[in-house]
Amino acid sequence: MPHRADNISSQFRKLLVPNKMQHVLCTGNLCSRDMFDYLRTLSSDVHVVRGEFDDESLKYPDTKVVTVGQFRIGLCHGHQIIPWGDSRMLELLARQLNVDILVTGNTYECSAVEKNGRFFVDPGTATGSFSVSKED
Amino acid sequence: MYEHPGNTTEQEKNLDNSIRIVKAESFEMKRCLDKGKTMDALKHALQMLNEMRTAELSPKFYYRLYMDSMHELQCLEVSLVQDFSSEPAKLVNLYECVQYASSIIPRLYLLVTIGGVFIKCGLGSRKEILKDLVEMCRGVQHPLRGLFLRNYLMQCTRSVLPDFPETEEMLDVHNSNLPKGATKLKPRDGTVEDTIEFVLINFAEMNKLWVRMQHQGPSKEREKREKDRLELRILVGTNLVRLAQLEALTEDMYVKDVLPSILEQIVSCRDPISQEYLMECVIQVFADDFHLATLNEFLAACAQLQTEVNIKILLIALVDRLALYTTSSIEGGAPTKMKLFEIFSEQATSLIKSRPEMPVDDIVALHVSLVSLAVKCYPDRLDYANLTFQGLRQVIEEKAITEIEAFGKVGRELTKLLNIPVDEYKNVLRLSELPEFIKVMRFFDYRGQCNISAYMIQNMLEEETILRTQENVDAAFELISPLLKDQENQPENSHDTEEFIDEQNLVARLLHLIRADNVDAQFLLLNGVRKVLGEGGRYRLRFTLPPIVFELYRLVLQFAEMKEEDEKWDAKIRKMFVCAMGTIGALVSSAELAELPLKLYLNGAITADRVPFEDNHTVVYEFVSKAMSIMEDDVSDSRDRVRCLQLTVGTLLKTTHLPHENWEPLAIQTVLAAGKMFKKPDQVRSLVTAAALYWHGQTLNTDGQKMRNGKKVVEILKRSAKIAKECLEPIVQQQLFIMLISAYTYYYEDKCPEINVDHIEELISLTQDNSVQLDVSAEADSLEKQLGEAIRRLQLAKLDVAAAQQTSPPEPDLPQPPNENEGL
Repeated sequence: MPHRADNISSQFRKLLVPNKMQHVLCTGNLCSRDMFDYLRTLSSDVHVVRGEFDDESLKYPDTKVVTVGQFRIGLCHGHQIIPWGDSRMLELLARQLNVDILVTGNTYECSAVEKNGRFFVDPGTATGSFSVSKED
Repeated sequence: MYEHPGNTTEQEKNLDNSIRIVKAESFEMKRCLDKGKTMDALKHALQMLNEMRTAELSPKFYYRLYMDSMHELQCLEVSLVQDFSSEPAKLVNLYECVQYASSIIPRLYLLVTIGGVFIKCGLGSRKEILKDLVEMCRGVQHPLRGLFLRNYLMQCTRSVLPDFPETEEMLDVHNSNLPKGATKLKPRDGTVEDTIEFVLINFAEMNKLWVRMQHQGPSKEREKREKDRLELRILVGTNLVRLAQLEALTEDMYVKDVLPSILEQIVSCRDPISQEYLMECVIQVFADDFHLATLNEFLAACAQLQTEVNIKILLIALVDRLALYTTSSIEGGAPTKMKLFEIFSEQATSLIKSRPEMPVDDIVALHVSLVSLAVKCYPDRLDYANLTFQGLRQVIEEKAITEIEAFGKVGRELTKLLNIPVDEYKNVLRLSELPEFIKVMRFFDYRGQCNISAYMIQNMLEEETILRTQENVDAAFELISPLLKDQENQPENSHDTEEFIDEQNLVARLLHLIRADNVDAQFLLLNGVRKVLGEGGRYRLRFTLPPIVFELYRLVLQFAEMKEEDEKWDAKIRKMFVCAMGTIGALVSSAELAELPLKLYLNGAITADRVPFEDNHTVVYEFVSKAMSIMEDDVSDSRDRVRCLQLTVGTLLKTTHLPHENWEPLAIQTVLAAGKMFKKPDQVRSLVTAAALYWHGQTLNTDGQKMRNGKKVVEILKRSAKIAKECLEPIVQQQLFIMLISAYTYYYEDKCPEINVDHIEELISLTQDNSVQLDVSAEADSLEKQLGEAIRRLQLAKLDVAAAQQTSPPEPDLPQPPNENEGL
C-alpha cells in the first residue's frame, strides 16, 4: 500500500484488533508511514524490515532478529537474497543470523517449510495484491 | 431579593440557626401529635415555618431550609390523615384556626398542608379546594419565597390531581381500585381539565415571580441575580412536567388549550432567560406527536421571542427530535413527514432573515440540523439536501464571506455539515448530484478543503466505492480536486507537511478503486487519469503515479489470459507497456526521482517477460536498460547503487524469455557496473551477486534450464577475490573473505565442475591466518564463528560430493558389468 493496494482486505482487518497481538513482524513494502502507524496501533512491539518499495527515508534495516520466548526469529524482506526465493541462500541467511525461524517475503505466496531444524515462513501478502513475479 | 445576602460563611451560620429551630419545633410538634394535642402541634408547626420567612438566605441555602421544613410537614400530613380520616369533619376546625395565624408564609404553608389532608380524607370538593389553594398563594408576591411556596403546593397535591376525564365507568373503575378504607370519590369531583387549569395558573404565577427576580435590586448585581434565577429554573419547569405526565391529556387538549396558554405566558413575559428555558422545556417534556401537531404554532411563537434568546438552539433541538421520531416511527404519518422539511426550511430562512446579527457559526449550525433532517429522513430526495446547501450558500454570499478557516468556530460547524451527506449516503459519488454541496465546500480555506476531500476518500475506501466509468472518475476527481493540483490559496510550504503526504497517500489508494467492466475501458480510464494526475506537479507524482503503473501491470497480466479473444491483442499489450513506460518516465523527468522509477522499470521487465506478445523481448530489454541508465547516471550514493544492482540482478534472474543476444549485453553491463562501484568492498559484494547471473540465469536458448556457466562464474569470483585481497581494513576484508568462501561453497554444493576445492581451502587458510591478527572485538568473535560455520559447511559439501561420486554410474570408458539384479 498504496502502490499496489487500496486497503488490507476487510476480513483480515476485522481480525487485526489492538491488544490481541504482542508482536508484529512485517517483511516490508509498507511503502508509507501511515501504514506503519496503523501497525503500531495493533501492538507496541512492531518490527519492520526494508522492502524494495519502502521509502528510503524511513531507514528500516535489511534484516532484524527478534527473540520471542525461546525462539530467535529472523526477519528479512528477501529481495536482497539472490536469487529470489532460493532455499539454500535462505538457509545460509538463517545460519548467519543464527535464528530458529526465518520470516521472509517477496514471493507473495504463503508457505511454511522446515529444513534442517529451522523453520522458513513466508506470510504471503496482507493486501492480496498481485506480484509481477508470482505465477498464478 | 434578599436584603442582606452576606457571604457564604454567614449564610451557613444563618442556615444552621434556622435548621436548629426547625428541628426543635418539629420535635415538639411530633410530641403533641402523639398525645393527640393537634392544636398545639399546629402552633409548633407555625413556629417552625416562621423560619421560611427569612430574607437572609440565597436560593441555594433557602432550598436546604425548604427541604428540611417540607420533610417535617410531610410527617405532619401523614399524621393528620391517619388521625382524621375517620372523622374528617373535625378538620374544618383546624382549618379555621390556622387561618388566624398572623404571618402569611407559615399560614399558607399550613393551609396547603391541611388542604391536602382534606382531599386525601375525601372531605369537601377536591376541585374547589385546589382552586382555593392556588389562588391563595397569590398572597406571597416575594419571588424567592413565593416560588418555593408554589412548589410546595405542587408537591403536596401531586398524588391527588384528577387525571381522568369524567365518565361513570371511569369513576367506578377508579373507586374499585382504591385501597381498603380510602374514601371513594364522588362524581363531579374534578377532571383533568380542572387539573390543567390548576397547573396552568400555578405555572403563570410562578413565571411572573421568576421574571420579577430579574428586576429587583441594583443593576450592578444583575449577573448574580441571573445566576440565582438559573438555579431556580427547575421550580418553574416542574409545572410543565406535571402537565406532560397527565395520562388523560389528549392531543386535542394540548393543541387547543395547553400549548396556547403556555406560549402566551412565555411570549408575553418578554424575559429572555425565561423564554429560552421554558421553550426548551416544552420541546423536551411533551411527546413528539404533540410537537408535530403544533409545529406551526410553536414556530410562530419562536419568531416572537426576544432577540437575546438563542432561537438556533430551540430550532435545532426541535428538528433533531422530530428527525429522530420520523426515522424511527413505523407509521410516521407520511403527510406530516412530507411537510416537515418545508416547514423547518422556511422557518430557518425567515429566522435568519429576521436576525441579521446572528453569528455565522449559528447559521451554519442551523443548517447542520436541516441537512441532517433532509439526508436522514428523505434519503431519496436529493433536492431537499441540495436546497439546504443552496440556502446556506446564498446566505454566505450575501455576507460577502470568501474564505472560511478550517478550524475556527464556523469552520468546525461547516465540517460537521459537509460530513453529514458523506456519512449518510455512504457513496461519495452521489454527492456529485448535489451541485450546491460542492459550491459550499469551496468556501473553505485550503486546509478545510483538503480535509473534507481526504474525508471523502476515506469514506470511499471504507465503503469500497468502485469507480467504474469515466463519469465516476470525473465526479470523484472533482470532489477531491484540491488534492490533485496546486491551488491558488495553497500556502507556501504545504508540500513539506505531513498532511500533504497523508493526503497524497490517500489519493494513491483511491486509484486502486478504478475498476472498469472490461479491459479496454480500464485502459482508457487509467490513461485518462494519468494525464490528470500529471498536472499535479513533482511533489505529487511520486505518490500518485506508482499506483497507476502497477494498475497497468495488473491490467496487462489480466489481459494476457485473453489472447484468443482479441485480434488486436499484441498491439494492445504493447500500448499498455508504452503507457507504463511513459508514466515512469514522467517520474524521472518531472519528479526528478531515481530509485523509484528504477524499481518500477524492473518490475515492468518481469511483467513483460511473462507475457508472450510479439517482440516482447524488446520491451524487456528497454525496461532493464532504462533502469540501468538511471543507476549509472542518477544514483550516486554507494549504498543505493549496491541495492539497485541487487535488484537488477534479481530481476534479470526472473526474466527467462530473452534471446541470448539480448540477455548477454545486459548481463555484461551488470557485471561491469558491479566492478565499477566506488568502494572496493562494494565491488566485491556486487560482483559476487552478479556472478549468480551466469549460473541461475535463463534465456530462450537455454530452453527452461539454468545456464550454469561455471566458467564465467569462477572468472567473476576470482576477480572478486583479487579485489578483496586489496582491501585495507582487516575486519572488512575478513567479512569479504568469508562471504567469498560461502559463495564458492554454494556453487561447489551445486555441483559446479569448475570450482576447485583446493582453491577454497586456500582461501580458508588465508582467512584463518588473518583472524589471529584481528583485534579482539565482538565483531571479530562473530566472524570467527561464521568462519567456523563456513568450514563445517565445506566439509559437509565435500562429503556429499564424495557420496554422490560413489553412487554415480562408473566412468563411461569402462564396460558396464551385467547386473543380475537390475529390474527388481
